[in-house]
Amino acid sequence: MTTETTPPQDWSPEVEELRRRRNHARALGGPEAVAKHHERGRLTIRERVAGLVDKESFQEVGSLTGQGKYDGATLTGVQPAPYVMGLANIDGRPVAVGGEDFTIRGGSSWSGDRKKGGQGGFVEDLAASYRIPLVNLIDGAGGSVTSINKRGHAVFPGVHGFERSVELLGKVPVVCAVLGTAAGGPAGRAILSHWSVMVDGISQVFAAGPPVVERSLGQKLTKEELGGPPIAVDLAGTIDNRVDSEEACFAQVRRFLSYMPSNVWEMPPAVASSDPVDRCDDELLRIVPRDRRRPYNMRKLIEHVVDRGSVFEIQPTYGKALITALARMNGKVVGIIANNPMVYGGAMDVKAARKQVHFVELCDCFHIPLVFLVDVPGFMVGRDAEAAATLREGMRAVYVGLQASVPMYTVVIRKCYGMAGMGTTDKNGLDLKIAWPSAEWGSLPIEGGVAAAFRRDIAGAADPKAREREIEDELRSMASPFRTAEAFGVEEIIDPRETRPYLCRFIDTAQARLRTTLGPKPKYGVRP
Amino acid sequence: MATIQIKAEVSGSVWKIITAVGETIEPGGTIMIIESMKMEIPVICEDGGTVQKFTVAETEAVNEGQVVAVLST
Repeated sequence: MTTETTPPQDWSPEVEELRRRRNHARALGGPEAVAKHHERGRLTIRERVAGLVDKESFQEVGSLTGQGKYDGATLTGVQPAPYVMGLANIDGRPVAVGGEDFTIRGGSSWSGDRKKGGQGGFVEDLAASYRIPLVNLIDGAGGSVTSINKRGHAVFPGVHGFERSVELLGKVPVVCAVLGTAAGGPAGRAILSHWSVMVDGISQVFAAGPPVVERSLGQKLTKEELGGPPIAVDLAGTIDNRVDSEEACFAQVRRFLSYMPSNVWEMPPAVASSDPVDRCDDELLRIVPRDRRRPYNMRKLIEHVVDRGSVFEIQPTYGKALITALARMNGKVVGIIANNPMVYGGAMDVKAARKQVHFVELCDCFHIPLVFLVDVPGFMVGRDAEAAATLREGMRAVYVGLQASVPMYTVVIRKCYGMAGMGTTDKNGLDLKIAWPSAEWGSLPIEGGVAAAFRRDIAGAADPKAREREIEDELRSMASPFRTAEAFGVEEIIDPRETRPYLCRFIDTAQARLRTTLGPKPKYGVRP
Repeated sequence: MATIQIKAEVSGSVWKIITAVGETIEPGGTIMIIESMKMEIPVICEDGGTVQKFTVAETEAVNEGQVVAVLST
């Protein structure tokens, strides 16, 4: 008697195979590799996605990709592709999210018919086509010379190019979290972002790692010495922010995106604010010392002006002479650019200039009005500053500011001098300049300028020092901000306590104009 | 006992050392004042501690990132 197998009546066997294949995908590089990854204090890519996005909102794309293993025609296992990605929600808004799976071949590149992640990968197409933010969770070392072996030829740089990555930067918010050691392509992608973050202890980023550096320059350095957060974030500003855990990293990614529209065709998300617009904190009346030599806490000043708890600092540990922060005023998103008198008296050095350039472009791209809180004595001076090209980088900041077309509000807190001062206003736009009574401005500070401009007068006086002081006093009396206000050279001098209501009124009014200028911003000209 | 190195955030010259060896400084307290860009920039000790030694003297030039004092916690 022969046993006849009944042919299946439906597609259950295939659905069962689908279930098994999905389980293989969920297992990542297998229990041992995952345990080893956890021992290093790192989360898996699936744990990272789950930690980042709204609960159960992840809709994976490409879960079946990988290398199937077969016994004849029977599937015995799958080594998944080392990249996990798809759609998800963050605070109820859709995003494209993806990241390397380090538990499989260290998250190195994978060649299917279509790339899942990396430059030109599907996850980038997803963000571009649906006009939604892209979040890259980077944990891969990029290319390897072993690919020559596999292909039989060397790949020309740029075959899998950055074209899409570059296009995205003008269209949707791109966020990169570096969650491991990133070199080569993944490191490059981390930079091609609107905002990036790395985690102390587990993240390093560099163009090339220790073995290449030792071979090329004979320098023996650890990964951390070469590209840990103290170098990549604090010193170089290669990556914007640093945090102490992956959880804190996900919280910051969500926070950054909360200020961003989904794309450049939309307005940044406004929220209802419970902080009264007419909150006029008395501390503002005494925050600036009358002694011009004494600095004050600009961060505290910002807190008194913007909506309570709304400040999110970008690059807080880099270029500390300048503070750049996303914040809200009466619920509307604003970009705050404030000089920090605690560091070089707020003078604009190369790092501060670079920081300002990036932040102005970020806000301009996503239609976020800028508020300058000005206390800048000028560009940084001295041989080191000249050797670092402060003048060029500083003028680039001025140039980029003048090209930006978002409304800009200038509040002169104390010093506003020279070309760096020029970089805090927009002569072609709204150009609204208001000032506190503590404000002072000019081509250069009087004490530096008198000795040069009145050299002969001073030298010929019976008491040159007394003459110099006399001229200084005379000029200073004419440099009162009230005199400039008489000439309408500034639009208003305000009681410092009125800063918040004054700015809120204009930022509220600017919303209508912003709504009429949405879309990508064309770039032209040659930056200095 | 842990020691912490206090570094200057700016280049300039030491204008005034306003604490003494053995003195305990509250978190956020000022240790000394550096003159830089014609401003009096306080050197702040974020975590607080007891001054073990100063590695600079008044009027001495300091560079950004240079250790100016050592504290114990």
